Amino acid sequence: MGTSVQVTPLCGVYNENPLSYLVSIDGFNFLIDCGWNDSFDPSLLLPLSRVASTIDAVLLSHSDTLHLGALPYAMKKLGLSAPVYATEPVFRLGLLTMYDHYLSRKQISDFDLFTLDDIDTAFQNVTRLTYSQNFHLPGKGEGIVIAPHVGGHLLGGTVWKITKDGEEIIYAVDFNHRNERHLNKTVLENFVRPAVLITDAYNALSNQPSRRQRDQEFLDAIQNTLRANGNVLLPVDTAGRVMELLLILEQYWEQHHLTYPIFFLTYVSSSTVDYVKSFLEWMSDAIAKSFEHTRDNAFLLKHVTLLINKSELEKVPEGPKVVLASMASLEAGFSHDIFVEWAPDAKNLVLFTERGQFGTRARMLQSDPPPKAVKVTLSKRVPLVGEELAAYEEEQEKIKKEEALKATLVKEEESNSLVTDISKADLMIIDGHTQVDAAGLRGEAYRDVLIDGFGPPSSVAPMFPFYDHSSEWDDFGEVINPDDYVIKDEDMDMGFMPVGGDLDGKLDEGTASLMLDTTPSKVVSSELTVQVKCSLVYMDFEGRSDGRSIKSILARVAPLKLVLVHGSAEATEHLKQHCLKNVCPHVYAPQIEETIDVTSDLCAYKGRLSEKLMSNVLFKKLGDYEIAWIDTEIEKTAGGMLSSLPRSTVAPPHKSVLVGDLKMADFKQFLAGKGIQVEFAGGALRCGEYVTLRKVGGASQKGGAATIQQIVIEGPVCEEYYKIREHLFSQFYSL
Amino acid sequence: MASQQQQAAAAASLKRRDSTQSRDSDIMTITPLGAGSEVGRSCVFMTFKGKTIMFDCGIHPAFSGMAALPYFDEIDPSTIDVLLITHFHLDHAASLPYFLEKTTFKGRVFMTHATKAIYKLLLSDYVKVSKVSVEDMLFDEQDILRSMDKIEVIDFHQTLEVNGIRFWCYTAGHVLGAAMFMVDIAGVRVLYTGDYSREEDRHLRAAELPQFSPDVCIIESTYGVQLHQARHIREKRFTDVIHSTVSQGGRVLIPAFALGRAQELLLILDEYWSNHPELHNVPIYYASPLAKRCMAVYQTYINAMNERIRTQFTSSNPFDFKHISPLKSIDEFNDVGPSVVMASPGSLQSGLSRQLFDKWCAEKRNACVIPGYVIEGTLAKTIINEPKEVTLMNGLTAPLNMQVHYISFSAHADCAQTTTFLEELMPPNIILVHGEANEMGRLKQKLVTYFTDRSPKIFTPKNCQSVEMPFNVEKMAKTIGKLAEQIPENGENVSGLLVRKGFSYQIIAPEDLHVFTQLSTAIITQRITIPYSGAFGVIQHILKQIYQSVESSTDEESGVPTLRVHDRVTIRQESENHLSLQWSADPISDMVSDSVVALVLNASREMPKVVVEMEPEKDEAEEQKNFEKKVHALLLNLFGNVKYGEDGRLVISVDENVAYLNKQTWEVESLNEGLKERVKVATQRAQATWKPIPVSANGST
Repeated sequence: MGTSVQVTPLCGVYNENPLSYLVSIDGFNFLIDCGWNDSFDPSLLLPLSRVASTIDAVLLSHSDTLHLGALPYAMKKLGLSAPVYATEPVFRLGLLTMYDHYLSRKQISDFDLFTLDDIDTAFQNVTRLTYSQNFHLPGKGEGIVIAPHVGGHLLGGTVWKITKDGEEIIYAVDFNHRNERHLNKTVLENFVRPAVLITDAYNALSNQPSRRQRDQEFLDAIQNTLRANGNVLLPVDTAGRVMELLLILEQYWEQHHLTYPIFFLTYVSSSTVDYVKSFLEWMSDAIAKSFEHTRDNAFLLKHVTLLINKSELEKVPEGPKVVLASMASLEAGFSHDIFVEWAPDAKNLVLFTERGQFGTRARMLQSDPPPKAVKVTLSKRVPLVGEELAAYEEEQEKIKKEEALKATLVKEEESNSLVTDISKADLMIIDGHTQVDAAGLRGEAYRDVLIDGFGPPSSVAPMFPFYDHSSEWDDFGEVINPDDYVIKDEDMDMGFMPVGGDLDGKLDEGTASLMLDTTPSKVVSSELTVQVKCSLVYMDFEGRSDGRSIKSILARVAPLKLVLVHGSAEATEHLKQHCLKNVCPHVYAPQIEETIDVTSDLCAYKGRLSEKLMSNVLFKKLGDYEIAWIDTEIEKTAGGMLSSLPRSTVAPPHKSVLVGDLKMADFKQFLAGKGIQVEFAGGALRCGEYVTLRKVGGASQKGGAATIQQIVIEGPVCEEYYKIREHLFSQFYSL
Repeated sequence: MASQQQQAAAAASLKRRDSTQSRDSDIMTITPLGAGSEVGRSCVFMTFKGKTIMFDCGIHPAFSGMAALPYFDEIDPSTIDVLLITHFHLDHAASLPYFLEKTTFKGRVFMTHATKAIYKLLLSDYVKVSKVSVEDMLFDEQDILRSMDKIEVIDFHQTLEVNGIRFWCYTAGHVLGAAMFMVDIAGVRVLYTGDYSREEDRHLRAAELPQFSPDVCIIESTYGVQLHQARHIREKRFTDVIHSTVSQGGRVLIPAFALGRAQELLLILDEYWSNHPELHNVPIYYASPLAKRCMAVYQTYINAMNERIRTQFTSSNPFDFKHISPLKSIDEFNDVGPSVVMASPGSLQSGLSRQLFDKWCAEKRNACVIPGYVIEGTLAKTIINEPKEVTLMNGLTAPLNMQVHYISFSAHADCAQTTTFLEELMPPNIILVHGEANEMGRLKQKLVTYFTDRSPKIFTPKNCQSVEMPFNVEKMAKTIGKLAEQIPENGENVSGLLVRKGFSYQIIAPEDLHVFTQLSTAIITQRITIPYSGAFGVIQHILKQIYQSVESSTDEESGVPTLRVHDRVTIRQESENHLSLQWSADPISDMVSDSVVALVLNASREMPKVVVEMEPEKDEAEEQKNFEKKVHALLLNLFGNVKYGEDGRLVISVDENVAYLNKQTWEVESLNEGLKERVKVATQRAQATWKPIPVSANGST
């Protein structure tokens, strides 16, 4: 029997909720994606909470919240502790996305589901892989190989391939088959007949205009608004699709010498662009090529100003401008604030580049016709004064004392756990532990500041470098080779610009600037209704394949079994029906927490091919394949090893196999080239005067999924018949 | 006795034939075309199982023109499938434009992103700087640009497959973007280290240890049995020499190759100057516009560097030096008072470093710090031995008074690193390249004694000297689908399609072919009509005379009589005047149908002559006897001496060997294996000729 495979959706089936799926392969549980929506609704994670502790590895596919948002929370509260695998950009940009979300939320509410520290801790466990790196899982997952492949939707976006015993399970959601400015298209089409394909139905019903047309409309809309003295707001994600938009704008501004300012406003914009600049390896061939030739990094944005603070935007002189602000849902964050300001002015334009998540303000505004007015909650963090402040300080004192008490206990615990880890004799864990320790110590001073309800600083830039260091520590842990580790130790001891010292220096700096800003504060909210007079436009810049392409790609990949997830009920059902007809007979669309068994009914065994047998085999070459007929006798050795030897008796003649793919139209051309009159008549090919050629059955399977073709050739006994038969045979290999 | 000898001889000859068959495929041949017992022009050529790979494509810095190239004429460039470049240094990559543009090479070239970006800058610079006549030019700027389009990139750890060759690369330390390549052909792995260093430095990671042990390791041996001083000691010596020289009013010349190690030295100097304010009035110049141009590359590919640099990068660009100023040419250089100048090339053969050397070498206060490996035959190598006099560029001789220090920062593995690296990997075959013959010999001795217990094979081939290693790779096939529903027992027969893709084999039932591959199968049904107006029974009669199995029935739908010959060809009486034949295309069925057609046509022509005669009933025993006769005749023809034995067996004697053939079971007995085989085959063929068509199509008889 083949490898046992079960798929259990934990979230995001028959709707557009975040993605999270449990895939268990021979008892090894993968959590593929760990998404959360923009409103961070814990009830969505209930199914995950029930299985979190049994998970052996987490695979992340994209860097947005829908694909990894729940990771910090699951690690902290749900008992998820498995190693995480992602590409470098997904790791880095995912981290920044989570920071951005946290800070946006914290600004308007007492957000307490997770903290910045939790984000760091969660991302410390990430093992970073490169595209097409075959990673052999250690320990329990022995024999399983995971490999990320180009997804094409976001930078570092991944189509995961999990291989065990030669069987491929492919997880491909939100892929994009088109080359874009900064991303290569997905390589999904290169996979052939995987055992299982898990894909989404999100775009199964949507159709896209051509890229050129869409880009032009997009730029026209923006330019018209600017010319009419209006402002343009693009609610975007933190570090995903916004990169493509930035490039479009940058290139257009460059070509047309426009002077309208463009602002990219997120809490982490400068770090984001800095990192993106160093991810050229992950981008499109065109970008890599232009860098090789001109050494100009495409993300050296000349026309875009990076802002991490709204007050900086307010300092900008009046006049038309373009602002790309994060939190595309318009529920919180900069885009929400700017929307509230700009919505009442009819000159302005709010341009959505992605479909809003279900139930969010963005989705509401994208409806047709758009609402005339929306209710918003204006929340603001204000410093505490007077009695409130006094009460707060008193409480802080108390907490501090308690903590001091606890600290001794914690230390004891840590040393204990270290001992148990060592006893397991697992290098990875030991390293992991030391690094957690180190980072933990480093974070200590910080935690005092943040956890206890201090408000986040209005200027947060300096803290990011610090956080990055703590996660960089992670890598030291990952280096499995103890020698490497020793060298690093030595370096530090010798004190050439010691890493630790460096970090500390920055930590101080960071903390200092934090301290200045951490006056105790509280959130004050007020409700008001905003008249929506500005124009609202939605254009699809999501960078996902559209319905038609999805169908043709699925037909090309032709998986043996297909699992559909993520997409409205309607889209899922539509795609399911389509695939049942055109792709494969095994299409599943499970409900939440419904476990489906997609174990392939494939039987297989391995055997040795003896040299004696192989020396007599004559292969015929067909494209990538070489093929031959063999008659063998199996010899079983004492070890249960099978080997194929030539038969000792003469093999009975076998029915010959004709291998090849006959396309009637091509064959018609071929015959015409041979000087034979051919024409299609009533579904059959009439060759010459008497002979007819017809394909029977099998024709219903479109799109390249090969089947056994049935061809009938008919005619009276005549020279022509034999001639045409000869031509027909020439189209096949007979084995 | 004689027969035994012959037997042995026969067996031996059989064996020899077997081994020659596997020879061309199972022997891996590795030939250094450059860097074999020398340093420079790295180029290693490898073939295995009909796949050909070349590693690196460098030039020898001590020579110019064609003489600097590896021995490309030893090979046929058009056979190469993949060319892998480890890093951008001239002795590893500089003959690439020549090889891509001026030879018949048509394979694919791979290098890492950073290597490719720097490669272009470096070679353009090389073309500009090298002062050779036009005829001697190996390639020009245009060739480099064209070569850029052919070079493909590979990221660290990314696994690629070209033409059945799988390969991926590991970090090698050495310089930015340097890679070690692991190549996997049919399960045999070869690791080519290129230049590597197992020591982490200021900006680069140490070379990784591959998680799989290779079967062959082609490893550099630049430093032979030498041991590096600890990094901090070397750095201290370096900074001390410079500090003391400049404080005594001297000038320091650091001839260094523009890229790679130079960046490391600059990081050291910049940091040292920051920590020593008293030196701030002493200028440091870095005379390389090339390095300036490459800075963007260094700033971009930080992911290829170590954690330390990446950490620093988040706050400021570590390659933005505060105390170091660029210097375009010697004309701009205001040579008053102490200064530190880092200039290329490192070999002191020409260029700015040589100009400065000529200017400064007679002055006692000055110092020259040679920071890296120096290649035999260059001035840099000469002055390390501190000769009394040197020859200047203009041909005059001058006394060498300046102090010469040799402090190696070149990131090559030393003996300790090499031995630990090999100890971890423990490859059964080690090939040393990229080292001077003497150093290499010493390293080999050292390794042999170090690994006495495991005794790997260690080779030190010279250029164009091939190393041949046999690898017996077992071919494994995976049987899948219907054929694999039951795991066969010993002696059971399995027949199916053997499908090879790359180096993997699958055995598939024909019906399953379209399920597991992109290939499709077809069934061609043929239907022809023949004019025939005679009685259907006549046809049946004629067919029965020819064929063993002719079944007659009536078609259920139309009620017309049908005949089925050997369960393959169906003959129906379509109308008064027509018969139809239907069968599915297959060589045997085609043959049967052709003969049926011939019979039918004959029948309609010769109808009147046909007389229905009672066929004498054929006796089974008679048939058997008939067959025995035929077999006897055949064997007689083949072997000459065939007699009937007493026990009813046929006795076949060839020279001294005797074989016995049992006529009932057709089993052969003989002491001589060879003869037994032959008689067996002959008998089987006879049987096959006697009854060519199985009675039913599924081959159960």
